[in-house]
Amino acid sequence: MVINVQNLTKSYGKQQVLKGISTTVSKGEVVAIIGPSGSGKSTFLRCLNLLEVPTGGSIMINNEELTAPKADVARIRQHIGMVFQHFHLFPHMTVLENITFAPVNVKRVSLEQARQKAMELLAKVGLADKANVYPSKLSGGQKQRVAIARSLAMEPDIMLFDEPTSALDPEMVKEVLNVIKDLAESGMTMLIVTHEMKFAREAADTIYFLDQGQLIESAPPEQFFTKPGSERAARFLDQVL
Amino acid sequence: MNKTRLFYVPMMALVLLFALFGPVASVYGQELSDQPKQTLIMGTSPDFPPYESVDAKNNGEIIGLDIDIAKYILGELGYELQIQSMDFSGLIAALQTGRVDFVMSGMSATEERKKSVDFSEPYYFARNTIISKAEFGYESLDDLSGKIVGAQLGSIQEAVANQVEGAAQVRKLNKVADLIQEINSNRIDAAIVEDAVALDMTNSNPGLVMSFLPADESDGGYAIAFPKGSPHVEEFNQVIAEMRESGKLDELLQKWFPEAKDADARGMIDFSVLEGYVPYILRGIGVTLLFTLVSALLGLILGSVLSLFKISGIKPLMWFATAYTSVFRGTPLLVQLTLIYYATPQLTGYDIPALLAAGLAFGLNSAAYLSETIRAGIMAVDKGQREAAIALGIPYPKMMISIIFPQALRNILPALVNEVVALVKESSLVSVIGVTDLMRRADVVRADTFRSFEALLLVAAIYYVLVLILTSLARMLERRLRRGD
Repeated sequence: MVINVQNLTKSYGKQQVLKGISTTVSKGEVVAIIGPSGSGKSTFLRCLNLLEVPTGGSIMINNEELTAPKADVARIRQHIGMVFQHFHLFPHMTVLENITFAPVNVKRVSLEQARQKAMELLAKVGLADKANVYPSKLSGGQKQRVAIARSLAMEPDIMLFDEPTSALDPEMVKEVLNVIKDLAESGMTMLIVTHEMKFAREAADTIYFLDQGQLIESAPPEQFFTKPGSERAARFLDQVL
Repeated sequence: MNKTRLFYVPMMALVLLFALFGPVASVYGQELSDQPKQTLIMGTSPDFPPYESVDAKNNGEIIGLDIDIAKYILGELGYELQIQSMDFSGLIAALQTGRVDFVMSGMSATEERKKSVDFSEPYYFARNTIISKAEFGYESLDDLSGKIVGAQLGSIQEAVANQVEGAAQVRKLNKVADLIQEINSNRIDAAIVEDAVALDMTNSNPGLVMSFLPADESDGGYAIAFPKGSPHVEEFNQVIAEMRESGKLDELLQKWFPEAKDADARGMIDFSVLEGYVPYILRGIGVTLLFTLVSALLGLILGSVLSLFKISGIKPLMWFATAYTSVFRGTPLLVQLTLIYYATPQLTGYDIPALLAAGLAFGLNSAAYLSETIRAGIMAVDKGQREAAIALGIPYPKMMISIIFPQALRNILPALVNEVVALVKESSLVSVIGVTDLMRRADVVRADTFRSFEALLLVAAIYYVLVLILTSLARMLERRLRRGD
């Protein structure tokens, strides 16, 4: 198991956002996390690299306990890439510098090697010609593809996507989803919080349905979308499809 | 990568700073231990010609009657002379704190001062004069009843002015040159000034006349001041007595009190009086800029650290930073400057150079203000930037330096420029502890020429040009930082 989550809880004051989630993700598995807004999808995802510190429960990444008191969080995080809804590219760096910064400064890769790798990744996401451009000159879709390349430059074992297309204009959604799909097919372990049902159905191996801080269903897409196993999931699908 | 280079610059400047001041301290130490010839440091306020003034037209050396006498005495006794220039009002404090070994600065041995320091036998009895506009021509202290009388702060004449019966007000000013200006602008009716100085003043200001007051030998005359219990008083007294016997003293007096020369009439503002002084004043630009650079960098680095403390969430650090800001913002800069300069040698034994003390005081003060500015700048950076950096595994210091600070800097650049501009101008305060910056040099020239406006206008223009250059550099930097937009 690449990821093993046991009884994960998270509270803000008295409000319990995650109410004991347990699940496992195996290597190469692509998970799409769906559910109504406020269901705890993003919080669950952000707990997986400790951007949110869980209130209780445990998270194992590659058989190392991330939630252990003495865990080397920074090192474990290097194995987990994250892509945000609002991209969060570093605005004062060029596209190339955005991608090479972490490999050079964290993994101590030589600048030459990092650049070469960055150019390969940019070619993969179709933006090789934008290497020396500042992020402000890019469209939303281009920014998100650069952000994906930036995460991949650290050669993670797991990729987390937090609503990667929610901030995009409709015509740009596809270019980003295609990149994510390619990545899924390459065997990367991925968890994707998304509202794109069609994409979830096509790309994911497993659908997680979250509602009110609980993992209500975990099922293959065909089964989930045709015969949802719970009343709540059925109602949700009714609303969005 | 450009970002990292940005942060080497402060480091380099700090290294440079210590390289500049380090050697001074060590060379000084060597002189004391290696050479049999002992160095005595003399404190003086070189704005009192012909007793002491800065020879601004030549190389800025301090010259005058007192200097010649000091050189002669130390030569006879086999000491090396080192001269430390400072404001007159700081001389007694400098003696008490052991910053100087003796003071010669046209200083009268008053009973008041004798409480704080020891004096030699007097080497000269000066007469006081009343200076006033020619149309009034006050001749005696009685004439000054009901008038506003001026005198130099901390001088013996201040005491004389205080004795004027029925004086409307006694106005105390820092510089003799200020007194002339005040008379010329009718803010004061008359000033009590010493004979030699009065002679020069009336020479260069034809509208003024002077009247001698009777010499008062009971006031002790001009004497050399020493710290209480100094071992040097006795030997100095012997040489003074010899000088009186041999006529050496008269010879020096002749040299520095020449016959009155014809006054040349000048207008209110006449820049030709600055002839020969301009290079001397211009050399102050370097001092002012070095000082500004040092204090701005110190302020920026320390301010950054304090701002990190403030957002650290660690209680003791937050309290420290808040208390620091509160204290340095809540007390006058001039007080901080004076305290650091005079207290450091007493508390630590390190004889802090004036420029370093000034850089430290301004840097510490500036850090208090900047820490608030920088904190606001950091808070204004999108939280997502931090999350993206964390998710990439970038460690905290690297994240702050390369990701957060550059963006914060861009937000607060206008505020930073304001702070540096303020530093350039406030730097004129350092002249009170004798740093020969632009303002101090203007004061020296004013004292030399007995003309107020010309030197002040010149340095005002220089400050203005410096600020203009600075703001346009800042605009270039801002454009560079905004290239990502």
